[in-house]
Amino acid sequence: MINILPGVESSAAALNAERIRMEVISQNIANVNTTHGPDGKPYQRQQVVFETVLQQQQQQDNPGGLAGSLQAVQVSRIENDPSPPRMLYNPAHPDANAQGMVAMPNINVHSEMVDLISASRAFEANLAVVKNARAMALQALGIGRRG
Amino acid sequence: MIDALFRQPNYLAAKKLLDVTVLRHEAIASNLGNVETPNYRRVDVAPGFEVSLRQALAARDPARLASLQPQVAVDTQAIAQRRDGNTVQLENELVRLHQNTVAHTLHSQLITGALLRLRLAITGRPS
Repeated sequence: MINILPGVESSAAALNAERIRMEVISQNIANVNTTHGPDGKPYQRQQVVFETVLQQQQQQDNPGGLAGSLQAVQVSRIENDPSPPRMLYNPAHPDANAQGMVAMPNINVHSEMVDLISASRAFEANLAVVKNARAMALQALGIGRRG
Repeated sequence: MIDALFRQPNYLAAKKLLDVTVLRHEAIASNLGNVETPNYRRVDVAPGFEVSLRQALAARDPARLASLQPQVAVDTQAIAQRRDGNTVQLENELVRLHQNTVAHTLHSQLITGALLRLRLAITGRPS
């Protein structure tokens, strides 16, 4: 297939990765008070890890220039945050221990919101790339046309 | 032959510069895609291209102009300003992105102008 929209593969991969990140953040916020998961433990915060992927086609075009190749991004894994749970004193809670402490998930809603905003800004930046690619493609199609 | 019509140095330079804007757009797309990737180093069109384009233009050598190959390379000048070692700065990349789109418009219109002038010279009619 001809590549009429420059750089659109990296942008599409990034949009996908940022969307996964936003989904994981919304899952964290939704489970901010989940004290009892399927394993009987409080919910643990999930975090996504991004990694770069070399674009295959660029590799073929430019076999020597590995360092100079364009890179896309993908989610390499979704990990549990190992930090300890928040302990809250609430003896009336069914999941309270002998001391009356309840283990709450290790989630800080404020930092999750900050992550959510940064993911959505990165998403918008990649959308701007796609919009500009489209404008450039239309401009290139108009070469030689009057007006 | 007819090839000579398209071997004016300015036309060839505009064509190369148009190719460079497309390549730079791909580099910026790669940078913005990896804005949150730890240890990613931003890429850009290799700075050597501009120098060789200027030399080829000064020599007015069409063959040399046509053989120029712009490359993408890791930007070694960029300094990581974040703790994760990533050298991409979102605002700078967005400014470069829009500058590059305007440059693409400029170069494609230069090429259109050159082609329309050729057509005018051939037909004698401004259409």
